[in-house]
Amino acid sequence: MTFEIPFGPQHPALEEPINFMFEIEGERVVNVKPRLGYVHRGIEKIAESRNYQQLVYLSERICGICSFAHTLCYSQAVEELLGLEVPERAKFIRTILAEMERIQNHYLWLGLTAKEMGFETLFMYAWRDRETIIEMLDMISGKRVNYGVNTIGGVRRDITESMTERIEKSLDHLEARAEYYTKVCTKDPSILKRTVGVGILRPREARALCAVGPTARASGIARDVRADEPYAAYGEIPFKVVTYRGCDVASRMYVRIDEIKESIKIIRYALKNMPEGPVRVKASLKVPEGEAISRVEAPRGENLHFLKSNGSVKPERWKIRAPTLANLLSLCRMLIGVNLADIPVVIAGIDPCIACAERIALIDVKTRKREVWSGKDLWRYANEWYRKKYGL
Amino acid sequence: MRRSEIRRQLRIRAKQIVVQRDRRFFVNIEKKDLKRVIRRLMRMKNYTHLSTITALETGSQIEVIYHMAFTDALVSVKVQTSKDEPIVPSIVDLIPGAALYEREIHDLFGVKFEGNPDLSPLLLPDGWPEGVHPLRKWWSPDRILSKLGGRR
Repeated sequence: MTFEIPFGPQHPALEEPINFMFEIEGERVVNVKPRLGYVHRGIEKIAESRNYQQLVYLSERICGICSFAHTLCYSQAVEELLGLEVPERAKFIRTILAEMERIQNHYLWLGLTAKEMGFETLFMYAWRDRETIIEMLDMISGKRVNYGVNTIGGVRRDITESMTERIEKSLDHLEARAEYYTKVCTKDPSILKRTVGVGILRPREARALCAVGPTARASGIARDVRADEPYAAYGEIPFKVVTYRGCDVASRMYVRIDEIKESIKIIRYALKNMPEGPVRVKASLKVPEGEAISRVEAPRGENLHFLKSNGSVKPERWKIRAPTLANLLSLCRMLIGVNLADIPVVIAGIDPCIACAERIALIDVKTRKREVWSGKDLWRYANEWYRKKYGL
Repeated sequence: MRRSEIRRQLRIRAKQIVVQRDRRFFVNIEKKDLKRVIRRLMRMKNYTHLSTITALETGSQIEVIYHMAFTDALVSVKVQTSKDEPIVPSIVDLIPGAALYEREIHDLFGVKFEGNPDLSPLLLPDGWPEGVHPLRKWWSPDRILSKLGGRR
């Protein structure tokens, strides 16, 4: 017997309201259809009535977690149109902040995924450690989120020597913690039971569905804009593109934990080799006619901004493609064949943000009886299912 | 990647290849050649994925741009279609990952992708009036608002 389950638009495992229509047979998901648009804010339309300087602030607000990646991507596009060469020091500061944002995002992700698994201690631990990096971001920019550091032509804040010392100290702490999480996530039996072999995305599928970021890298595809098309200071900093071949939620977890370690190394190197000089150059309000495409590796994957200018102070067209849209089809593929109980953790696998209390409705196709589940119910169901099966 | 490589691979099908800067290529082609060109680019060395599809208005035409990512470049393939009856062949049979991008453009620009089995609304809400394509220039926020029966 097949059940149809509308999941969302408000649901427990993804930051944005999105709707999935699940078809399930017994415990197994046999088909998924996504539906977006519940938080479509029309940013691309708004952009046509704002000037380039105002759009820096608008781009900051596309996403609350990877705001730096969006401003960086947008600023780079405008700088290309203006023919501006950003000072070297600004490029290094951009790299440092982008990597700090990645660490922040990955710790957040680790915590939320742990929560979806019912492992609340790990959730608390990861979020406590995330606080360390957020404090550093706060120290540099004055804000915990939406840093407002990027601007067209460089950055608005410099990193001083005393800041460097404090950042280095916090990095030591974060590195030790990342090692600890590697140990926990590779050894803890309940984590392994919930993640290994769950939500499979084979490399061939990941390629066909154009997956990006950690989602692709956990399927063994070394796809990373930082390496393929170095921007900011990535061309001058040695780093490794982390890949795993497990194709499951566990691999997605290991990729992100290893990326935290890699980001720490990048920040250390950048702080040590940061050139002296100014951090921004002046940019004119008017932008010459032309087109520019900018790509940035946001914490969740490739971020692409296309900008077309008509020679005035406002853009003709600004197209934004955030990584979540690119990974959505891959997510649907992962969900096919999983257990109902695994839905939260698989959705979490591509990157959730806020797990609010949302609802899920179960409809019996035959009787059209509808049973409405809250996010809490699903979460409880998932954890009880595992407890009964494995005695976890 | 070099311009000559793209030129050789696409032979006569490219009307114009613009090298904007290092790693950035814009290729103008005819609409009827789209699928052939995409297939040929996919066969090229270092091809990774389709980054996204952009649509924009250029006068009386709608331009659809396919951003094909390579490990050493980004090749943007441009096709033009008329604004009154915008139809472009779908590439979901070649790149399944293009499905959502095509649906997004179908929603916001009203471009029909021939061969895409599912062009149901992705972003626009249920009950959105027919023929209102919010990202077209003619549909200013005020016009959209009055069409939807709202007021500022």
